[in-house]
Amino acid sequence: MLDILTQNAHFLLLGQYPSGPIGGLALTLILALLGLAFAIPLSLLLALCRVSPYRVLSVPSTVLVYIVRGVPLVMLVFWSYFLVPGLIGHLVSAFTTLVVTLVIYQAAYLSEIVRAGIESLPTGQTESARSLGMSYGSTMRHVILPQALYNMLPSILSQCVSTVKDTSIGYVISVQELTFSAQQINASLLTRPFQVFLVLALVYFAVCYTLTRCVQGVERRISRRRASGKMSNVRSLINDSVLQS
Amino acid sequence: MIQFSKVSKWYGEYQALVDVTAEVKQGEVVVVCGPSGSGKSTLIRTVNRLETIQAGEITVDGTSVHQATLNLNRFRSRVGFVFQQFNLFPHLSALDNVCLAPMKAAGKNRKDAKRQALALLDRVGLASKANSYPQQLSGGQQQRVAIARALAMEPPVMLFDEPTSALDPEMVGEVLNVMKSLARDGMTMMCVTHEMGFAREVSDSVWFMDRGAILEVADPQTFFRSPEHPRAQAFLSDLRH
Repeated sequence: MLDILTQNAHFLLLGQYPSGPIGGLALTLILALLGLAFAIPLSLLLALCRVSPYRVLSVPSTVLVYIVRGVPLVMLVFWSYFLVPGLIGHLVSAFTTLVVTLVIYQAAYLSEIVRAGIESLPTGQTESARSLGMSYGSTMRHVILPQALYNMLPSILSQCVSTVKDTSIGYVISVQELTFSAQQINASLLTRPFQVFLVLALVYFAVCYTLTRCVQGVERRISRRRASGKMSNVRSLINDSVLQS
Repeated sequence: MIQFSKVSKWYGEYQALVDVTAEVKQGEVVVVCGPSGSGKSTLIRTVNRLETIQAGEITVDGTSVHQATLNLNRFRSRVGFVFQQFNLFPHLSALDNVCLAPMKAAGKNRKDAKRQALALLDRVGLASKANSYPQQLSGGQQQRVAIARALAMEPPVMLFDEPTSALDPEMVGEVLNVMKSLARDGMTMMCVTHEMGFAREVSDSVWFMDRGAILEVADPQTFFRSPEHPRAQAFLSDLRH
């Protein structure tokens, strides 16, 4: 089994790169990072819309989140892959389709975490900020979000880790990420699917396990800082940016 | 300064405020007392529109509070509010708690806001705790920071909603002392409190409330010596036992 890994290491890691397009684990990580880079700000926006007192914002954002959460990721990928070109009249690359789908999918889940963080804060926080004359937006930005995001950091990070696994859905529309590479190896070896896919699983596991351990590290730091009541670096960073912005 | 005229509020079927008419004059300290559930907190929260009303009018310094066209943020910055649960911002130091609204709502620069905040923390006896976080402070200290934070917007009126009810008994005094010094400086104050000693010593007028209505308005000497209303008499005799 190890021979599969050693003989195909380059292909699993980078795909056909540099003689062809980049693929394999590298593409998987690129997809995950790109997805998150857009999903995180979008999730913030979605969460703000969901808790908004204006129904024009809260209703559509709630509908969007419920739809995305109620549909399997593979359906979303098919929809965007087959429907979007029809709607906009020209082809979209599988890579772009996958990134956009991942962004929408992850943003929906992340926004639920952010919303939970906002709603778990005592109402007294909003009341005291508003009673000082701070506007809704200013209260959100300087009082509510810094606390909500900090409290929810562990959940947000573990949702981010699962993005790595979600990229595997790219296989169904032939994005040449890790799962697709493994499938190609399997097709050329023909007789050893069990071993090939075990290698694939181990690679995913290694990446996600490492990231999960990092998240646990962050979690431990947060609970240690809470216990000691001391100001953390994260906090002082937030503070400075709050008061200097 | 604060005028209630025929103020009523309902929660569904339940009438929380019944036809309240009363006035807090400029420079006056009014203590609102009464049994729990009598509508004291609801009444004080209507003054800066943390609660809406369904009938009547409340004016503060000539401004009608519940009119739709009111610039709510600007209005609220002119009315200090101190909560029972302090509600300090836990992610900010004592100093930043006091600085935040002057910077974000009044547009002060950091240097001025900081200088003013330090002076206010000094006034409530907490200059040495400027860099502490709320969870590192005792309840009494947190409430004093909360008072400094409310004062930072330089409001002409201060509202106190049971400011000592969440405190351990030994910390009540330090908060009351800060409130007394504010009263001495001529601040217009409306306080919901169970601290009858404070009412007797500092207030100009005591309002007794029960079941959403103001039943008696009297100066503290009269109120504590010979309350008129039977419910006020019962309330005071319960307190003494």
